[in-house]
Amino acid sequence: MNRIEELSGYRDDIYTCNRTRCGFCREECPVYRVNRYETFSCRGKMLVARGLMEGLLKPSKEMAETLDRCLLCGYCQARCALKNTDIIMAMRQHMVQKGLTAQIHQENTNKILREGKLFETQKLIKRQGDTPFYIGCSYRSREKELSTIFSVCERLDLHPQVGEEACCGYIAEATGFFHEFEEAQVCCREHTVPQGDELILTLCPTCTITLKERYGLPVHHAILAVHQKLKEPDMAKKIKPLNLRATYHDPCHLGRMLGIIEEPREILQQLGVEIIEMEHNRYFSTCCGGGGGLTMVDDSLSMEISKNRLRDAMDVGVDTIVTICPTCETVLGRGALRLLNQTGEDIEVLSLWDLLDQSLKD
Amino acid sequence: METMLKEGLIGKAFEELGRFLKERVTQSSIHRMAYSRDWSPRESDAANLPDIVVIPKTTEEMVRITQIALRYGIPIVPFGGGTGMGGGTAAWNGGIMVETKGMNQVLEIDEKNFTVTVQTGITIWELNEVLAHKGLWLPHQPESKRSCTIGASIACDNDSTFGLRYGKIKDCLTNAVIVTGRAEAVRVGQRKSSFSSTGYKLLDLLIGSEGTLGVITEATLRILPLPMSRQVRGYFFRSLNESATALERLLSAGLTIESAHINCRHRLHFYTHTYREKFGREPKVPEWAEAIVFFSFSGDGPIVDFNIEKATQILTEEFHAQLIEEKEMVEGWWDSKHRLEFIPFKQKWPDSQRQKKFGSADVGLPIGRLDEGYHHYVEIAKKWNQEVLGMTVYNESPNKATASISFAVFVDDSNTDSVNRFYQYVKEMSEMAIKLEGTMSSYIGDGDRLGGFNRLEHGLSFEYMRRIKEGFDPKNIMNPGKKFESHWIRKDPNE
Repeated sequence: MNRIEELSGYRDDIYTCNRTRCGFCREECPVYRVNRYETFSCRGKMLVARGLMEGLLKPSKEMAETLDRCLLCGYCQARCALKNTDIIMAMRQHMVQKGLTAQIHQENTNKILREGKLFETQKLIKRQGDTPFYIGCSYRSREKELSTIFSVCERLDLHPQVGEEACCGYIAEATGFFHEFEEAQVCCREHTVPQGDELILTLCPTCTITLKERYGLPVHHAILAVHQKLKEPDMAKKIKPLNLRATYHDPCHLGRMLGIIEEPREILQQLGVEIIEMEHNRYFSTCCGGGGGLTMVDDSLSMEISKNRLRDAMDVGVDTIVTICPTCETVLGRGALRLLNQTGEDIEVLSLWDLLDQSLKD
Repeated sequence: METMLKEGLIGKAFEELGRFLKERVTQSSIHRMAYSRDWSPRESDAANLPDIVVIPKTTEEMVRITQIALRYGIPIVPFGGGTGMGGGTAAWNGGIMVETKGMNQVLEIDEKNFTVTVQTGITIWELNEVLAHKGLWLPHQPESKRSCTIGASIACDNDSTFGLRYGKIKDCLTNAVIVTGRAEAVRVGQRKSSFSSTGYKLLDLLIGSEGTLGVITEATLRILPLPMSRQVRGYFFRSLNESATALERLLSAGLTIESAHINCRHRLHFYTHTYREKFGREPKVPEWAEAIVFFSFSGDGPIVDFNIEKATQILTEEFHAQLIEEKEMVEGWWDSKHRLEFIPFKQKWPDSQRQKKFGSADVGLPIGRLDEGYHHYVEIAKKWNQEVLGMTVYNESPNKATASISFAVFVDDSNTDSVNRFYQYVKEMSEMAIKLEGTMSSYIGDGDRLGGFNRLEHGLSFEYMRRIKEGFDPKNIMNPGKKFESHWIRKDPNE
């Protein structure tokens, strides 16, 4: 599926927002919640898009910086009916074409094309198995967490087959490097992703949606396979109840974009977790603060957003928040540390994989 | 020369504002563009950029902003939810756009006295989320409540879903703080009492003032315990007038009804967007039904059940109305109107305005003239080549049938001529309303559309209104060009 490159290709949607102005996207936008100019909501950005398209506004560093302050979390899109995130990405692409985008985004894109990876700490991991897995850059740089995931999978009779990988390239496209994303895609397809129609299990929701919707590959997030396995007879005997009270944070790409919403919850319930829902959950979950490349350009804002999400959890009276996304786990984890240091508020961030690890007997 | 002079003054004002607002003031064209539109019909390429955007956090900061604006003669335009349909936030004269949502704190919840005091930049939705934790709510609930602020509700006097039982914002408001065009912060009203017989009722003047008297920064509102339960029912009627008479009968029978919305057939189509998305079909409406009315009943369970039973009995036996059996249609309407629950990625407002824009003549009519009004609506819309969207009657006064009406059309905003025709439609609908002994606006306000033209309705009292304006805002810096002038409707079409 090719993305529309020109902003004018989204003309109809931009003018629909121009004449609608309902503002449903605004108040819970995680960025707007911190930065209170209308411009930081999608409704405001749509007028910026219109201004850019009509020549009322000229591309500028300031515009690029404003557009960078978007998580591409899609909350606005779920509250709307327009292609909001696509439009923001098209504007970012315009910034790239004008050489105005942040240097770090260019560097990350170059790294992906040059080395096929995003993080320096990523390791080459190989594993024999019968089920192809695509790990993703984030977990490849987190050996301990990955080891836990593999252990859980083996206990569920899932045997990950892991080989060389190249980055899916999501962050390149998300930050406006459309052509470079196409190059990254070619590399990823040719060298790392299994050929044919074999189902690939993934661990990162962002990689999942990229490989599924942008590459058109047969992928499932691995949690669906876990969910299926846990429904098998005799599985109940393998579970040691955790007796935990927690909330579940829906990662944007997993929940809102892929619709994988009830399966993680059913797993948690099977593990003996009492789920206390946050006010904004499921399709209307709000972002952890790690989306859209924001941490790379404004980590401070990212942390404020993270802390807000954690406060949402504490508001419902829990001291544990569970999620299943390497970005959410990292960003919420860092946010929790900051909260503890700054205010003494204490909340534990756990991965669903951790809970599976604790609960499943060998 | 004039432009340079103005730019010089703007520059000086910006510098002074920056000393205390810091990053909460901007002249960036990017930010100013984001404040260049509200929801009012205008050409798709229209944009009214302010010169400066400020985000005050307190009444004191608003006073300082106004002092600077006064010093340099720069207009002030308050921006609330940005969902106004009347052009109230259009910065025709540039100026300082005040983003009021920086003032969004709940200052006090007084549970014993059932009041809440807020900064007026808080949205109605957010306020009710806070109140719900204490089992309380503010019953003023416009459909725009996700975005609309308390201040915008006061200034625009918008409608409420539950007006039939609880009235509108004026029935909740007990006092407010307004920073006037004299840069004075004035508390008006009666503290936490719901009424007062002393002095003049300046609080009432704020309602519908549309930022032309000052910027409202704080408000105290009467709140209520959340009802234990709520149910919604719908009925088909043979005529609009009959449905209004039926409502009056239900009320005189002693039934407690929370809301009543009377829709024509066209309007039902608009409000059943979610139904169509879910079920892939149109709701079934009998051919004879000219009005579809939805009621909500709230309270303790057995009392709600009793009210519904008696209402259905009266309506079917005395008015030959038919209960809507299809629960999904009723729930779909309520999702659209009140719960604002839409299928993710399929929200009604953008999805229904992809080609044309929702626009409305919001006249008020006596309740015995609804059919007449509808008939004129269809004729006038046809005359000005406006596509009929439909009519809804909102009942906005406690315990009596009253007709605050949305006569909505789809506006072609692609060119100036078609937008002008919309405003000719509004003009003629307004004239019709006056002839039928009604009012030209019941929930949108004058904005930049009815000002000046509204002299037709007010006569000599219009001059008294102007004197009141001069008293609050002698230098006319508060949202100039609104209330007393119209950008769209001229007495002489050739003007």
